[in-house]
Amino acid sequence: MHAAELLQFAIAGLKNGSIYALVALGFTIVYAATGIINFAQGEFYMLGGMVSVFVLSALRVPLPLAVAGGVAATVVVGALVERLALRPRRDAGQLALIIITIGVSLLLRSLARHGLGSNELALPVFTPGPSISLWGAAIERQALWVWGITAMAVVGLWLLYEKTSFGRAMKACSISHDAARLMGIDTAKVVALAFALAAGLGAIAGAAVAPLTQTAFDVGARMGLKGFAAAILGGLGDFRAAVAGGLALGLVESLSVAYISSTYKDAIALVLLLLVLFVRPQGLFGRSAREKV
Amino acid sequence: MRDRSRQIAWVLVVLTAVAVLALPLLTSDRYLLKVLTYVGLNAIIVTGLALLFGYAGQISLGHAAFFGIGAYASGYVTTRLGWPFLAGLLLAVTMSAAGGLLLALPSLRLKGHYLAMATLGFSEIASILFVEAKPITGGNDGLSGIPYASVAGFRFATPAANYWLVWGVAIAAVIAVSGVVRSRPGRAMAALHGSELGASACGIDPARVKTAAFVVSAGLAGLAGCLYAHVLGFVSPSTFALDTSIILVAMVVLGGSRSLAGPLAAAAVLTLIPFADSILPGLPASAVAFLQDWKGDISGVVIIAVMLFAPGGIAGAVRAARRRAGAIGGRGPGASQRTADEGSAT
Repeated sequence: MHAAELLQFAIAGLKNGSIYALVALGFTIVYAATGIINFAQGEFYMLGGMVSVFVLSALRVPLPLAVAGGVAATVVVGALVERLALRPRRDAGQLALIIITIGVSLLLRSLARHGLGSNELALPVFTPGPSISLWGAAIERQALWVWGITAMAVVGLWLLYEKTSFGRAMKACSISHDAARLMGIDTAKVVALAFALAAGLGAIAGAAVAPLTQTAFDVGARMGLKGFAAAILGGLGDFRAAVAGGLALGLVESLSVAYISSTYKDAIALVLLLLVLFVRPQGLFGRSAREKV
Repeated sequence: MRDRSRQIAWVLVVLTAVAVLALPLLTSDRYLLKVLTYVGLNAIIVTGLALLFGYAGQISLGHAAFFGIGAYASGYVTTRLGWPFLAGLLLAVTMSAAGGLLLALPSLRLKGHYLAMATLGFSEIASILFVEAKPITGGNDGLSGIPYASVAGFRFATPAANYWLVWGVAIAAVIAVSGVVRSRPGRAMAALHGSELGASACGIDPARVKTAAFVVSAGLAGLAGCLYAHVLGFVSPSTFALDTSIILVAMVVLGGSRSLAGPLAAAAVLTLIPFADSILPGLPASAVAFLQDWKGDISGVVIIAVMLFAPGGIAGAVRAARRRAGAIGGRGPGASQRTADEGSAT
């Protein structure tokens, strides 16, 4: 294989990997704040793309406003899911909360099919123009948007966690809810904001990728799985690990398309997920996880 | 008193079984029989899922995949390789149970959400294979021309015969599983559900018990899949998608844990909703179309609403009602025994 071809596959892998990273960040943030896996995380990704397309075509507003509307609507959905479906059963234990998020995922997917249609839809690219060529490989302009958004999300999260009192509150919650509450932290607010943030990150990913790969009401489950695979690959609970896991997953997937088969591209990421779960559930970079009792 | 209530429970079970099996003698409505055959297929899967979820406390989002593995395995070998039905059935159960074992062995050592995610991953891999492994599955077009079930020269070629086949298997499965939950392994599962740490301290090996429950429930789903393929004569990938798995979870959640009767009742209700016109013949076609179109939304709402407002599901509501009845009759003799019987109910 030529170096240029390989570079092209690597670019595609890093582009997809950035999207996985954004979805993985959503899993990580909710897990850090609550200790549960949000099975509806992929649906936030789906809503980001689908609602943006809907706002663009129904309200005929400029593209940036449509995307902002799609992300904002998804953030509201994320906050509502936490407030209405999860908070009332906060003390019911992990199994109950996981089942609720499974119900939420089916409900959001089905409602999206009814409200936004069952067709495959696409957004226009954010900035039209020819691809940029780099050593014989082509980089779509939209890929630059995807990378830029991911970089901004990572920097923003770093600032949030390291430099703000809210970030410290989130960290405290991830260590112990009870201790955080005793220190005067409003843990309910932290959990609500974690869900809103996770929904926003998923939605941005969904909107940023909608011009490249079409979006539809049923894209959430598979993307949710890949995002989770990325999160678990890096080690659940650490946002730098989630990004590293996402990029690694994107690259592995892309190279497997190059060298093995494009038919089973999705299956390869999922087999990788199962292998990591079975062999090293604490992630490639994580320390051995201790169960919270 | 305890013996008498157990006798009543047995009489109720036997009467229900007789009524279910006698139904084709009372009606010749082919549509109704077909719909009730679907209820029987879901009853088989839900029986296994109730064992896994209600007793062993594990969620599976992969049961549609086990159902599909059973359907494709038997469908393929009977159609393309000319195997007899019973051999196909054996292969279907073996393959889905083996799939369950393969998934359960490593992942059941993990925490609850990891297993759920692993089953979800497994289910998506299976969906991809059902579509892409065209030489075996026929891809999106599916596998057609699957012969009717036949045992010892008898072909199950009429709706009534298929109904009897499916419900015969379903009743046998319910009896077998209710035997398991009353036995030592069943009590071990219930102990696990209560407290895994406590159960381990009593000498129960959590991974072994959970693996056994998972393999049995995967095998039952495969058995149902095989019957489905031979009843319908046709299988295609969309039947075995993730939403089917979640709707099955909705059935056990609505039914309630530590019960078989509850999940079976819930399976009947949720399976009948999209086919409501079979039991309510006057129902306008638009209402039926609405119910079919919205069955995903309905199942999602059912899961959330049950978890929020009635976490015990149907079985929990029945137990609570019996407790109230016991409390009202508390002044009379025998009331205390009646409350004590709740544990052995359902």
